[in-house]
Amino acid sequence: MARAGRKCRVAAWVWALVAAVASFELIADVWIRAQVPADQSWEEAAAFVRARIGPNDRIVAAPSWADPIVRFHLGALVTLRSAAPEDSARFDRMWELGIRGESTREDPPVLEQRFGGVRVRMWELAADDVAHDFVDQIAHAKVELVQGDASRPCRWVEAPRGRGGLGQGPMAPDERFVCDPSRPWLWVGPTILADLTLTPRRCIWQHPVGPEPVRSTFFDVPLGDRLVVHGGVDYENERWRAGSPVTLRIWISDRLAGELVHRDGEGWSSLAIETSSLGFDRATVRFEVTTEDPTARVFCWAASTRLTEAADE
Amino acid sequence: MNDARALKRGDHSVGAALCIGYVVLLGRTASDLAMSRDESFYVHAAKRYAAWLSKLLTNPMAALEQQSIDFAWSYNWEHPALMKLGFAWSWLAHQQWGLYPLESLAFRFPAMLTAGLLLWLIYAWGASVMDRRGALFAALAFASMPRVFYHAHLACFDIPIAFFFMLTAYAYWRSLADRRWAPLAGVAFGLALATKHNSWMLPGILLVHFAWVRVIQARAGRRERASIAWLPWMLAVGPMILIGTWPWVWNDTWGRLGSYAAFHFRHVHYTYEYLGVSYFKPPFPVSVPFVMTLFTVPLTVLVLGALGLHRQRASFRLPSSTEFGDTTTRRTEVLWLGCMLAPLLAIALPSSPIFGGTKHWLTAYPFLALFSACGLLGIVEMAELQIWPGRRWPSVALLGLCLLPGAVQTAHSHPLGLSHYTPVAGGVPGAADLGMNRQFWGFTTGSVAPWLREALPDGGSVWLCDTTTGAWAMLQADGIIPRDIRAASSMLEADFVLVHHEPHFKEVDYQAWVALGTVQPAYVLRYDGVPIISIYENPKRDRSKRPEDG
Repeated sequence: MARAGRKCRVAAWVWALVAAVASFELIADVWIRAQVPADQSWEEAAAFVRARIGPNDRIVAAPSWADPIVRFHLGALVTLRSAAPEDSARFDRMWELGIRGESTREDPPVLEQRFGGVRVRMWELAADDVAHDFVDQIAHAKVELVQGDASRPCRWVEAPRGRGGLGQGPMAPDERFVCDPSRPWLWVGPTILADLTLTPRRCIWQHPVGPEPVRSTFFDVPLGDRLVVHGGVDYENERWRAGSPVTLRIWISDRLAGELVHRDGEGWSSLAIETSSLGFDRATVRFEVTTEDPTARVFCWAASTRLTEAADE
Repeated sequence: MNDARALKRGDHSVGAALCIGYVVLLGRTASDLAMSRDESFYVHAAKRYAAWLSKLLTNPMAALEQQSIDFAWSYNWEHPALMKLGFAWSWLAHQQWGLYPLESLAFRFPAMLTAGLLLWLIYAWGASVMDRRGALFAALAFASMPRVFYHAHLACFDIPIAFFFMLTAYAYWRSLADRRWAPLAGVAFGLALATKHNSWMLPGILLVHFAWVRVIQARAGRRERASIAWLPWMLAVGPMILIGTWPWVWNDTWGRLGSYAAFHFRHVHYTYEYLGVSYFKPPFPVSVPFVMTLFTVPLTVLVLGALGLHRQRASFRLPSSTEFGDTTTRRTEVLWLGCMLAPLLAIALPSSPIFGGTKHWLTAYPFLALFSACGLLGIVEMAELQIWPGRRWPSVALLGLCLLPGAVQTAHSHPLGLSHYTPVAGGVPGAADLGMNRQFWGFTTGSVAPWLREALPDGGSVWLCDTTTGAWAMLQADGIIPRDIRAASSMLEADFVLVHHEPHFKEVDYQAWVALGTVQPAYVLRYDGVPIISIYENPKRDRSKRPEDG
């Protein structure tokens, strides 16, 4: 009798458990969909940011997969430079449009406002003043292929571009330095690289040809306090971690000022060169890229000279 | 579970109703899905094969010359021909008699039919060994798995191989007690071989099961032994059907069969996002098929499956525990377990090529559905005996309740089935947080067709990203995309640029930014708030064609 009662209880519990699982699944499904922010929430949040954004502000999404939605609403305010920065030290403020309680930062924001399921947060950043952005100025540089003691200049021209597509690498700009038309990858110009973490980086494509350098020279550059350099190889190539290291040498007034050696697996690498003690405010700056084996070395670099806030004072 | 019950006419009526109902449902919802990448290749192959078939009918001697065979059959030689022949015949019939409302349906119908037949088979096998309510539940539980519903629409091989895989196992199982089924087992295996290479694992599963049953019979002292007649039939008839239906291997047979096998053993690795990592080279985590099953099959079905396995645990005891005089059965549960686990384990092997998509182990799910039915029946029977003797409506209510989550999720998953994740993963946004694959094959372009039609009322061009030009041409043939909206070969020449959101496609997103000089999409297709496709407008396009500008 007791055994029959126990069986009955077990049967009832299992029955109830399965019914509860099915009910939970139904309710959870409805609940998940109900949490999705409405278009109106996005629009209100975007309007709020649009009314307050400054010229040197950056807009980000949290979580990062919501980025296309943020760009849909606020993309007109997002330049290529702010969508694909070489680092975050150049912006005065960062605006974040977040959903699902996600955030890109842990420190408290100076401003926070909710619009339905979308939360707007803003942080003030300790931005560097940029004295010279090499990516912006590449059209005014001199680019050449060094061959022994001689060099062959590359011409700034309007040239055919790629079609786009998976595995095609960064898109060439319509105007760029073309060094050798028979080697279509041998150009120098601004583009956007997907780095090892697939983060967009606005940078100068300067594919090495081998041990002899591809050289970009910038004249009369205001040096500021620091020269900050970044570099990386395209995701599709670097992810295999099988390519030759790429060396970027930086020369200031014919003196080797720094060397960034990028090895596969390091991702977007960086180097900071103190320039305040060099004794001159302006100089010629040269960037030379070399490698032992140029196969699949889709190298791209970004650099700027910067003034720290202390230097401003 | 019974060892085997004879099926009645009524059983086949239910099976036929399931089959017809599912095929009609698939047919009526197919136009929502643009052709996937692979489908477009198989359609191209089917058209070439159809041309050869026409030649075979009109000029057989010329058609059978090696040059003619190789010309037609060299395309897509990496997959056997059976289903593509089905697509070709169906299309030829459509050309002749206009059978289908859409051209794409002509190619998709044969695979849809196998999806319907698979439901029939699940019901039939279930009804052979368990309460018919359980059999019905199993068929419907399988039909209402979101990913199954998506794949069941396609002119591909994944649902067809699930059907032929199960048909082979069923015919083998029948043949153990009735030798008349042995030739059918051979035929079914041949059809499976001629459908897809998942079939290669069948002999191993069946041999292990057969050895299991024979050892039990021997230890129990049974004089009647399970028949091995299925094996010679499979060995003889299987390859004959593979080769007979595949003209490509009629010449240089061994060399080409070797190339076919080598292609799959050395398959390229796809890039696939799983738990926040884009894998592109082995080893792929062992957990992939299990976690993906957990995240894409309705939880209720999984829980019931676990209960079913628990309920049948006595059947899984090793043959060595059998004693003289014990009763013996065909150990159906062991066969089902083998058929369920082998496809999952094959993908879980670290040495397996990286595929990722659940379609690669779909052959496991009919058996999972049957175990779920076992679990449900266990609860129902216990309740009917212990809680409310004699009353059946609570059981019917539970059966309905257990089917409801799958049905609701499947309805919501369409037409973005590959982007769908169950509440276990947190739904679509939860899966995005976890870094799970969002889509592949570029089929989601069908969901932006209305937007493109509105944006380009006077025609124009679209850069298609992951969608093939063949899939685009089929959208045009179906009348979903006007013919004056053409596929552009370059982003720079396109009026609109599509970007399908997968992590490794970010490269393409950035290309569009540089090519078009903007980071602002004109439209973002979202599914439960998660971006699926961004569409960028080319600022240089002729804006006089925009609808708002007249």
